[in-house]
Amino acid sequence: MSIFTPTNQIRLTNVAVVRMKKGGKRFEIACYKNKVISWRSGAEKDLDEVLQTSSVFNNVSKGQVAKKDDLSKAFGTDDLTEICKQILAKGELQVSDKERQSQLETSYRDIATIVAEKCVNPETKRPYTVNLIERAMKDIHYSVKPNKSTKQQALEVIRQLKDSMEIQRAHMRLRLVLPAKDGKRLKEKLKPLIKVMESEDFDDQLEMVCLVDPGCYREMDELIRCETKGKGSLEVLSLKDVEEGDERLE
Amino acid sequence: MGHTTLDKIKALQKNPANIRNLCILAHVDHGKTTLADCLVASNGIISSRLAGKLRYLDSREDEQIRGITMKSSAISLHYASGKTDYLINLIDSPGHVDFSSEVSTAVRLCDGAIIMVDAVEGVCPQTQAVLRQAWLENIRPVLVINKMDRLIMELKFTSQEAYTHLQKILEQVNAVTGSLFTSKVLEERADKEKEKDKEKEKEKEDIDPMGCSGSEQVYDWSAGLEDSDDSQLYFSPDQGNVVFASATDGWGFSIQQFANIYSQKMGIRGEVLRKTLWGDFYLHAKAKKIMKGTKGKKPLFVQLVLDNIWSLYDAVVTRRDQDKVEKMMLSLGVKVMARDSRHSDPKVLLSAICGQWLPVSQAVLSMVCEKLPSPLDMTSERIEKLMSVGARRFDSLPTQTQELKTAFMQCSCEDTAPVIVFVSKMITVDAKSLPQNKQRPLTQEEITQRRELARQRHAERQATSQQTAPAHISLSLCIPHSLQMQALTVAAKPEDEGKQIFVAFARVYSGVVRRGQRVFVLGPKYNPAQGLRVLPEGSTSMTGSLPPVPHLACCTLDSLYLLMGRELEDLEEVPPGNVLGIGGLEECVLKSATLSTSPALPPFIPLNFEATPIVRVAIEPKHPSEMPKLVRGMRLLNQADPCAEVLIQETGEHVLVTAGEVHLQRCLDDLRERFAKIKISVSKPIIPFRETVVKPPKVDMVNEDLGKQQKVAVIHQVKESDTLHLDPSGLVTLTTPNRQATVGVRAVPLPEEVPLLLEGSADLIRTLEQAGQAQRDGRFLDMSPRTHDALLGLKSKLEGLLQGRKWRNAVDRIWAFGPRRHGPNILLNSVEGYQRPSVWHCLERDKGEKDGDNAIRDFDNSIVSGFQLATLSGPMCEEPLMGVCFSVERWEMNFPIQRTHLDSVGDEDSNSHDQRRHEDIGAGVVDCYGPFSGQLIAAVKEACRHAFQAKPQRLMAAMYTCEIMATAEVLGRVYGVLGKREGRVLQEEMKEGTDMFIIKAVLPVAESFGFADEIRKRTSGLASPQLVFSHWEVIGSDPFWVPTTEEEYLHFGEKADSANQALKYMNAVRRRKGLYVEEKIVEHGEKQRTLGKNK
Repeated sequence: MSIFTPTNQIRLTNVAVVRMKKGGKRFEIACYKNKVISWRSGAEKDLDEVLQTSSVFNNVSKGQVAKKDDLSKAFGTDDLTEICKQILAKGELQVSDKERQSQLETSYRDIATIVAEKCVNPETKRPYTVNLIERAMKDIHYSVKPNKSTKQQALEVIRQLKDSMEIQRAHMRLRLVLPAKDGKRLKEKLKPLIKVMESEDFDDQLEMVCLVDPGCYREMDELIRCETKGKGSLEVLSLKDVEEGDERLE
Repeated sequence: MGHTTLDKIKALQKNPANIRNLCILAHVDHGKTTLADCLVASNGIISSRLAGKLRYLDSREDEQIRGITMKSSAISLHYASGKTDYLINLIDSPGHVDFSSEVSTAVRLCDGAIIMVDAVEGVCPQTQAVLRQAWLENIRPVLVINKMDRLIMELKFTSQEAYTHLQKILEQVNAVTGSLFTSKVLEERADKEKEKDKEKEKEKEDIDPMGCSGSEQVYDWSAGLEDSDDSQLYFSPDQGNVVFASATDGWGFSIQQFANIYSQKMGIRGEVLRKTLWGDFYLHAKAKKIMKGTKGKKPLFVQLVLDNIWSLYDAVVTRRDQDKVEKMMLSLGVKVMARDSRHSDPKVLLSAICGQWLPVSQAVLSMVCEKLPSPLDMTSERIEKLMSVGARRFDSLPTQTQELKTAFMQCSCEDTAPVIVFVSKMITVDAKSLPQNKQRPLTQEEITQRRELARQRHAERQATSQQTAPAHISLSLCIPHSLQMQALTVAAKPEDEGKQIFVAFARVYSGVVRRGQRVFVLGPKYNPAQGLRVLPEGSTSMTGSLPPVPHLACCTLDSLYLLMGRELEDLEEVPPGNVLGIGGLEECVLKSATLSTSPALPPFIPLNFEATPIVRVAIEPKHPSEMPKLVRGMRLLNQADPCAEVLIQETGEHVLVTAGEVHLQRCLDDLRERFAKIKISVSKPIIPFRETVVKPPKVDMVNEDLGKQQKVAVIHQVKESDTLHLDPSGLVTLTTPNRQATVGVRAVPLPEEVPLLLEGSADLIRTLEQAGQAQRDGRFLDMSPRTHDALLGLKSKLEGLLQGRKWRNAVDRIWAFGPRRHGPNILLNSVEGYQRPSVWHCLERDKGEKDGDNAIRDFDNSIVSGFQLATLSGPMCEEPLMGVCFSVERWEMNFPIQRTHLDSVGDEDSNSHDQRRHEDIGAGVVDCYGPFSGQLIAAVKEACRHAFQAKPQRLMAAMYTCEIMATAEVLGRVYGVLGKREGRVLQEEMKEGTDMFIIKAVLPVAESFGFADEIRKRTSGLASPQLVFSHWEVIGSDPFWVPTTEEEYLHFGEKADSANQALKYMNAVRRRKGLYVEEKIVEHGEKQRTLGKNK
């Protein structure tokens, strides 16, 4: 064992430690900062760019190298590169600053994109741009939660944005065909779910084309299926009711 | 000269013979506004000491700050020459290339133009452009050579050098005019050669004598270049259409003035002097004769004109010789105020002397009055041109319309004459500055009245202080009244505050316009023949209700204004031949319009703009809640600016298209400060892409033959799982999570022309889709025979394009189009044993619906939905697909229990059968994976995406075609800019009869931001591109390419980090959308900032 003196002590401020517990022992490897996530996602293919040194430690900050016996006992091999790869893939690590920043940025953008895709300006029936949504999210001080899915968060954002700007989920256009005898009764039940009734045709069966909030789709589907015992049908005419084509302002 | 009163101008307006409508045109910074200042000063509107510094007509703040004019503005001036009084309607125009649309609006309203040229810089690109514009509008130009002082003070020319320099400039200007003339003649001849038809030839000759009446600018149509007379076109001082001036120093002269001076002094006839003062003549001192041919002797112009000016400058500015100046002033008969002569800046003294000796306004205005035509002299050629919209010839117009021509010519102000007004643009004015809202100086009576009131009040107050009780009543009577008054004025104010009022910038061509008059507003597409047919005979705009005619509207002229630069004056009526402002038209006039009381008038030909809007930016409000304000503001901007275009794109972006960067800046300022009054942010517009697949390439990146390697498939190895299988030929099979359905999909590239055809006939396909939908419900959608035929045509065209073994019967097997059911991608039914009616089914009405396998027919819709979703956003960067055919080759469903149950029910009643099955499946499917139809949609979507990825993927970029006009000397630079921006030149040809080249190129939209500006800068404005969206083009490089072969490693290195354009585009889009980008956060782990111990 080498003598541990301040002169040969290496400060490990710039080291990202990946650790893994296996076989009752703790194993650590010393990596460069901001590199491990890239490796995991496959963007970085050069192992030497990730690892500071190919040796495996018990404790990186103390400089204790893992013993060969422990390694082969825990991993079943003494090939250090192989072990390093295993630890990199499965070990736990502290996400470094840039990695976290880019993660947050990506999910922030992703949320904004989802919101922009799902919503329209109710006045013009046209979507908002992602940029605008991003700015609006900033205005309402929305912070991204890293442990929730972006889609979930996007729905939350839409709810919050409604207070500060004219925004609405793009309506779905549905066609409902209901048998005559259930028609009236069912219509009353469906009414609160329907936003805009576009056409209504009542001869031998009730046929309606309407705009609904996409959130109500499942509810409606269930309602119709249960109430009419499968006789009624529900058809999606368009997922998003938006204006198409360019419009010249005049 | 004193201030001209409004009444005087009103009186002058009534005499069209003494009206001159003219505009000042020149290259940027050649002194248009300064000259305008001098002319304005001559009317006493501004002080002559401030002329040239104030820039009175630049009323906008940014115009004053930047020092360039950005809009055309008009002012009416009075000029007395001898005993005749003239009314000059002067329009100052901007010189910057971005605002050439403003020049067009100015030129249209004028009969003549002052072309200005800088004596140092000579003819510049915009000089050429404005000469061309004046030429196209058939208005007569006169020339002012400005900034003569720069020749003396800056270049230190001797008078002789200056003379030769001036000669050169004149030659340049005349060369431009000449080339315009020759190109016109050549064009005409070329036209004629094309028109072999002899009858038409005759017609032309018939028009000819008519056109000759009283105009100098008429050319013999049938004659060639050598026969056409062009001597009247050219500028020459001895013709009296050139003035030499220095607008900043306030002097200017024409040859005539000097001729008059010297004819008295030297006793030579003025006529002779006028002819000889410019040109190759000299004064033989002994013989006192003017001789031709100056060999080493001073030309007359130098000796008599320039030398005097040179010596004046020398004495006043250079040497500051007080005695000599005194002497000169004495001989010139000029008296200067003491404070001017003692001023420390010699320029002040100089302009004081020159202003009296050779006032520029005098020289310019007298030339204008003599040389430019009055509204009465409008050439019939110009009238015909104005009235013949499009390719229509004048003589094909209805006779009533042709009769209107005489109204034009007479310009009569009788009540019977039809009113003809052309609005060339809408200008915005602050509501505050309208005459009716303006504070007027109080008249004498009003002042005395107020004084009286105040005195009374004072007396009352004194009285109350003395004896409170009796005065109390009078006070209570008095105070509420004044309070009320105050309240009223206060309430009225905020309403007007900052409101923008539109005033139409217009000219009366015939008839008298009166306030409150009702007129027709003719849209650009209005057809007089149609209007005359529909409207009852003899109906005028005064009659109340009229049958609706397309592009014809009726409106009332609320108010008429005299345009006085920054100010407006109220008018009751405007006689013909005048420029005016009309209020209350913002509802019916967008940018320009023709107004008339006669429905027979055709709308005037649209203004021809030199620059088309090309700089595109996306605009967003800083605060998202202010969106409606932005939209309103953009609407107003569109109306107020002749050249700007605004539109909302499908992506929801608000796009502003302007003519150039400076124009853009002005539009944004306008939006921020006048129209929207909100903070906005400006960004590059979003660039759309499309995703597609291509046939596997035959050669690799270093042009080596690939042989039979399946390189692509190796790279895009899809992770196989238990539900997903990929076979090497690209067939992807996917099973739904509940294992009830399996689909197999293969992606095939469509031949190049197919997506084009499909894009082009999107509307047709939509009708087809609707018809199919209707038929499925058992109804028939009535289709007109025309669309029916068109659809059959589309089908046969598709059959023609999809040929070969691979595509056998493909057209009949088309299942759907996507995305959005009418896009350029195809879903193909290649499932064996699955019969379903094709999309064309609804075309054949006779056949009844043959149901195939009903069990899976029900879920047909899910497959289509899945396909629609997959084509709407591709796997590369979630952009729509294009030109991809997904062929479904396997589709199996197994419902273990329900199926048998169903069979036992039998199919006596297919309707109840269906319902039962629905119910059963519905019940059975309430499993952990959600409804079955949803699972199937997801499965199909995933299968399509994987099938897409199994093929070589490519991005498609939107391309602009770009037409560039450039002169020969800047051709190289144009190519440079094009090359830098990945443009590709398609063809290059020389324009007949000119030295302009026309280059056609394609340019990716992604590279077009700032393109127009760059090309203008690099070619100093000599080339101007026009961009039009043309098509989608596959980008050759593979975004996922990595070097694999030996040669590729050699050539590109292991990382292949040389620019891969497709990858760059793809990553940019992915980053914008917040998708995962395969990029390292830091490139080199070791090269990061090392944090210190204490940090």
